[in-house]
Amino acid sequence: MQVDNTLLSKLEKLSYLKVSEDKRDEIITQLDEMIAFVNNLSQLDTDGISDNFSMTDKSTTLRQDVPKCNPQISDDILAHAPNTDEHFFIVPKIIE
Amino acid sequence: MFEVVIGLEVHVQLNTKTKLFCSCPTSFNHTQNSNTCPTCLALPGALPVLNREVLHKATMFGTAIDATINRTSFFDRKSYFYPDSPSAYQITQLYTPVVEHGKLEIDFDDGTQKTIRINRAHIEADAGKNIHEGDISKVDLNRAGTPLLEIVSEPDMRNEDEVVRYLKKLHSIVRYLDISDANMQEGSFRVDVNVSIRPKGDEKLYTRVEIKNINSFRFIQQAIEVEVERQIDAWEDGVYEQEIFQETRLFDQLKQETRSMRGKEEAADYRYFPEPDLLKAVIDDEMFDSASDIPELPDAKRERFISEYGMSAYNASVITANLEMAKYFEKMIDEGASAKNSVTWLSVELQGRLKNSLTLETSPVDAATLGTLVKRIDDKTISGKAAKDVLDYLMQNDSDVDSVIDKLGLKQVSDTGAIEKMVDEILDANPDKVQQYRAGKEKLLGFFVGQVMKASKGSANPQAVNEVIKSKLA
Repeated sequence: MQVDNTLLSKLEKLSYLKVSEDKRDEIITQLDEMIAFVNNLSQLDTDGISDNFSMTDKSTTLRQDVPKCNPQISDDILAHAPNTDEHFFIVPKIIE
Repeated sequence: MFEVVIGLEVHVQLNTKTKLFCSCPTSFNHTQNSNTCPTCLALPGALPVLNREVLHKATMFGTAIDATINRTSFFDRKSYFYPDSPSAYQITQLYTPVVEHGKLEIDFDDGTQKTIRINRAHIEADAGKNIHEGDISKVDLNRAGTPLLEIVSEPDMRNEDEVVRYLKKLHSIVRYLDISDANMQEGSFRVDVNVSIRPKGDEKLYTRVEIKNINSFRFIQQAIEVEVERQIDAWEDGVYEQEIFQETRLFDQLKQETRSMRGKEEAADYRYFPEPDLLKAVIDDEMFDSASDIPELPDAKRERFISEYGMSAYNASVITANLEMAKYFEKMIDEGASAKNSVTWLSVELQGRLKNSLTLETSPVDAATLGTLVKRIDDKTISGKAAKDVLDYLMQNDSDVDSVIDKLGLKQVSDTGAIEKMVDEILDANPDKVQQYRAGKEKLLGFFVGQVMKASKGSANPQAVNEVIKSKLA
């Protein structure tokens, strides 16, 4: 797969991120390198292997339905958030 | 002529005590963001651990709709960026859902049924809530990570009426199973409608339009009506290809129209892939067996009420349509009340008196009390008319049936001696009418009965009065 300006624009749209003009070529090169790196995996022959293949035959651990809540944790997290008000996270407006 | 094709996606919030992948409580009305933790806030390093109860409830639902239950199912990751999801993805089940290929019977008023196939029911995590205010949005993530069961029907419905019947049936099944509060207003039963049209006789499926987040049966009906009209107009004007494309639309109840949510050029790309943070979800024998043992469902209860209590199909449907009503009825029966009178006194008399947002659950007259009242009608202690006064009194005052009967002096007189005395007095006072009756004017019987009832202030047993008068005038 070749990363080009069109694909970068699509990624910007999907991720709600803006890449500035002077950074575009650099980012495109980096994305290309990442894809090339991951592409090594396609050398593996995966014919006949289920999409759900896993390295372990174990199933996921199940948790009992018992509530636990430590209010200190959310207080701490909110205290570190860039912008909060009355225990809300505040973000730029998200509807036009 | 066009045929309307409708399929539904219903998001049912499961009523577990904790979230899908963490132990945060799911309870409502807590301070914003207080029911959160590193997992549901998607802090780096926090991992999801599946709630056992969610898998159990999903299996119960699969049993109820006669579906294939995948004893091994998988989770997938659906990517999207929006502030209501701090992880920027939703964990859901795209490729191998826990429940597949079920069905549900909808009932029509004439007693016929139609099968609506259910494609799948899968487990997924709910998002948080955003409140939009001027230049900012406030984010509350208490709901983020709450377990949902998304129930997807096949496009088997042909009009709004079938849609509402399907939703009511689905709602009652979910309530009978007690897997969700299923409250439309509070958002624990959310409906998305997929609508398309096609020329009658055509088997092909045309472009479907999804209408999202409609929160009442009435609005669902209206939304379908206006959307179908929009599609038919486009077809007839020869602009179907240009104007109707697969998209999500919102219903505006004030303007009575559906509106595009986002442009088609910005079609979402969710980049689904198997969820790397979770292994396969396996339903073990113990869970499978206990989840297969589900409570009696509305259809079975209705059939039993018909055969066991000789109820009419209509009455049985009314009583079993919602769980609270069915439970209330069964408590009345446990109290010893007759089924026939219980149906009337529950569905007509009590329901008619439940006003100002009172429900069966908050009714000042509970099932044991109404059951006792019906028992007093059954054994002729009081007349039906007197019982209405007792019920009126009990709606306003905290007391018990027998005390109120005494207090209001409503005990019915079935004692023949007392009734004979009253009848004699009435007959003596109306010699002319007695003569007319004996001469053949038999409808005067009603007059005599009325006079005696009036003299007894409604307490005489009307049947006994009838018999005494007839024998005296014979």
